[in-house]
Amino acid sequence: MTLAPPVAATGARRSGAPAARRRRRPSPAPYLFVLPALLLFAAFKLYPIGWSFVMSLHRKVAGADTFVGADNYLRLLDDPLFWTALRNTGVILAVQVPLMLALATGLAVALNSTLLRGRSVFRLGFFLPMVTGLVAYGIAFSVLLNKEYGLVNWLLSGLGIGPVPWLTDGLWAQISLGLALTWHYTGYNAVILLARLQNVPKELYDAASVDGAGAFAAFRHVTLPGLRPALLLTTVLSTIGTLQLFDEPMVLTGGGPDNATLTIGVYLYRNAFSYFDFGYASALAYALTVLIGLLGLLQFRLLGDKGSTS
Amino acid sequence: MADVETNNSTAPQDRSPQGRSPQGRLERRSVLRLGGGAMAAGLAAFGSLGLTGCSGDGAGGLDGGSGSGAKGDPKKGKISVWSWQGPAAELKALVPEFNKTHPGIEVTVEDIGNPAIWDKITAGMAAGGQGLADVLHIGVDYLPGYVERFPGGLADLAPLGAATHKDAFAAGLWGTVSPDGKKVNALPWEANSAGFYYRADLFEKTGVDADALQTWDETIEAGKKIKAKTGAHLLGIDKPASQPDAANFFQTLLQLQGAFYFDLEGRITLDSPEAVRALTLIKTMNDAGLVSDLAGGWNALMSSLKKGTNAVVPYPTWFGGIIEEQVPAESGKWKVRLPPAVRRGGTTAATVNSTHLAVSGSSQHQSAAWAFVEFALTRPASQVKIYRGKGIAPALMKAYDDNVFHEPSTFFSGQRKGEVFLAALKAQSPAVNYTSDYARALKLVTDAQSKVLLKGAEPAKVLAEAAADLARQTGRKAAK
Repeated sequence: MTLAPPVAATGARRSGAPAARRRRRPSPAPYLFVLPALLLFAAFKLYPIGWSFVMSLHRKVAGADTFVGADNYLRLLDDPLFWTALRNTGVILAVQVPLMLALATGLAVALNSTLLRGRSVFRLGFFLPMVTGLVAYGIAFSVLLNKEYGLVNWLLSGLGIGPVPWLTDGLWAQISLGLALTWHYTGYNAVILLARLQNVPKELYDAASVDGAGAFAAFRHVTLPGLRPALLLTTVLSTIGTLQLFDEPMVLTGGGPDNATLTIGVYLYRNAFSYFDFGYASALAYALTVLIGLLGLLQFRLLGDKGSTS
Repeated sequence: MADVETNNSTAPQDRSPQGRSPQGRLERRSVLRLGGGAMAAGLAAFGSLGLTGCSGDGAGGLDGGSGSGAKGDPKKGKISVWSWQGPAAELKALVPEFNKTHPGIEVTVEDIGNPAIWDKITAGMAAGGQGLADVLHIGVDYLPGYVERFPGGLADLAPLGAATHKDAFAAGLWGTVSPDGKKVNALPWEANSAGFYYRADLFEKTGVDADALQTWDETIEAGKKIKAKTGAHLLGIDKPASQPDAANFFQTLLQLQGAFYFDLEGRITLDSPEAVRALTLIKTMNDAGLVSDLAGGWNALMSSLKKGTNAVVPYPTWFGGIIEEQVPAESGKWKVRLPPAVRRGGTTAATVNSTHLAVSGSSQHQSAAWAFVEFALTRPASQVKIYRGKGIAPALMKAYDDNVFHEPSTFFSGQRKGEVFLAALKAQSPAVNYTSDYARALKLVTDAQSKVLLKGAEPAKVLAEAAADLARQTGRKAAK
C-alpha cells in the first residue's frame, strides 16, 4: 500500500458555474472510460484492503473465524517480536536512509558536473541496480556475502582480513542488509535529485561566485535549498520503502540471525504464511499503514515547503 | 499388483457441483458492482457467510470441511502432483507404470522445492483451494496445521477407501493422518527414523569404536579426540538458523527422550528438563569447538559433506541416499547406526518425521488423484522402486519384505543399512503431537538455539523465554 500525500479535497465545486452548463446533462463518456480501471482498482486493491481490515478483527478458533474485536491489535502491543521488528526497521531508517541520501546527493552533484566526461554512461550505471529484480539481487548478495565461499570474503582474505560473518552475526547481518539496500536504491534517488538539480537556475551560481562564494558555500546556499523538494520526496519514498521492507531481508537472512534483521514485512509474511494467522498478519499490516501515514505527515511538516524559499 | 485394485468403483459417485466457487464469488462480485464497494462486500459476507472466503472454506470452493468423498472419474482425468526434489523425481518415475493400469489418467509431477512448497500450499489453501495441485506431498510438521486451519482444504480419503490400509503402515503413523480415527487426511509415505551417519575412516584413524558409543556424552568425548587427531568437527549445525530446519538435531535429541515441544494435550513443553538437557548437550559440543557452522542451509551441508568437515551427520533415514548421491567416491568410508541415547540405557529409536500424500479438497479429480496416491503408497513394488532410487524409507511395512532392505550396502561398508532403520521403525516410538502451532514453536526453538550457539546463552533461560513467548503467541498453556 502506498501513501498518497494528503491533498486538499478537490470535491468542492466552484459555485457560480454558468447556468448553461448546468442545463446540459453531463456526458457519461469520461466515466465509462475510467470505469475499467476503477473496477480493477476496486477488485484488486480496495476490496483486499477492506477485507484485510475485516480479517484483522477476527481470529481462527478451531478452523472457524471468530470475531475478536481489537484483540489482534492489543496483542501487537504485547508482542516482543513486533517491537524487535519495529526497532530493526527504525535502525535502518535512522542510519541507512540518511547515509544513502547523502550519498545520492553527492552522486547527483557529481553527475551534474560538467567536468565529468561520459555522464550519461555513469548515470545509467548508477541507475541500473534499480531495475534488477529484488529477489535476484538478494540472492546475488547472499552468494557474494557467504562466509565460507563468498567472493567478498575471498577478496578480503587476500588482504589478510579474516572471514567476516556477513550474514551469520546479528550486527553484520544488519550491515549487509544496509549495504544491499544502499547498492540498490542510491542510484534511483540520485536520478530524482539530479532531475531537480538541473532545474536550479545557473544564474544563482553565477551570482554566488560573484559574491565570492566558494564551491562549498555555493553547495550549501544554492544547491541544497534548490534540492529541498526532491530531498523531501526521496526521504518520504525511502521511509515508506524501508517500513515495507520485505524482499531483501527475506532472501538475504530470512529475518535472522535471531531476528536481527526481522522487519515488519517479514514478520507479517511469517504470521500469514507460516503460522496461518491471517487475522494477526492483517492487524500488523494496518499498524504498519498507520505508522507510515504518521511518519509521512511528520516529514512533510519538518521538511515541507514553508513558503519561505523560491 | 492385484492387491491394488482400487476400490473406487464402489465409492459413491458424487457428481453434485458442490460449493461451486465461481458462484460464491460471483455473488460477491455482483455486490461489488452494485456499488456496495469493498466494505459492503465484507459486511455482506459477515452476515451471510461468517467470513469464510478468506479462510479456505465455504465460499472458497471447498465444502466446508465435510470432506468431499469421491469426485470425478477414477479412471480418467488430468491430475497434478506437488512434491520436491528427490521424492518428486521418484513420483515422476512411477508415472509410466501407473499408466499401464490407469491409461486414462494423465499425471504431471511438479518439483516445487522445499521449503517453498509450504508457502505455496498455504497460499492456495488461503485462497480457498485456488491453484492447488490435486495431490500434495505434505510433511508431518505441516499436516496438522493445514487440517486445523483450513477445514476442507484436504479431501477426506475415507470415502475413497483409505481406511482399508489402516494397518499397512508403521505403528503410530495412522494416528498422524487420521487423528479422530474417522476422517483420513492423507496417506503415510515416508517414515524417517533418527540416524547417525558417520565417517568410519575418521573414527578408525582416531581409534574410537563408533558402535560402542552408548550415550551422547561419550560421543562428545570421542568428538574431542577426532577433532584433535583429524581436525574434523563432530557435527554441523546451521548456527544462525538461516533455514527453518536448523533445529533438526535438537529435535532429534528431544525425541530420543520421548519428549517434544507439546504434550499430547497440546500444552507447551518447550522448557521441559528434556529440552534443557538436549540444548545443554549442543552447547557443550559447541563450547568444545566440535560444531561446525552450516549457515546457508542445504548448500552448506552438501559442501561440508564433500569437504569432510564433520565426522557425524545425525540425520534421519532419507539422508543416506543423499550421501551416496553427493559423494559417490567415498564409498566404503561411511557407516550408519542409530544415534546414541541421551541418557545411559535410554532409547535410540525415534521416528523423527514422516511425509504423506494428500488430495486437495478443491480438486475436481479426487478419485483419479486417489488412484495415484494409492498406487504410489500402498503398493510395495512402488515403494521398493522409490527406495532403490533415492533411499526414501517407506512407512508401508509390507515393502520391507523386499530384499533391497536386507542387502549389504557397498557404499556403507557392507552394512545392511535397511535393517538398521527397520529395527528403529519396529521399536515403539511415542506419539508426537505437532499441533497446528508447530511452525511457531520451531521458529522460537531455532532462535533459542542460535542464542546459545552464537552468544553463549544459557539453555534453561532461553528455553523458558521461548516457552513464555509461545504461550503468549498461541494462547496455549504450559504443561507445568
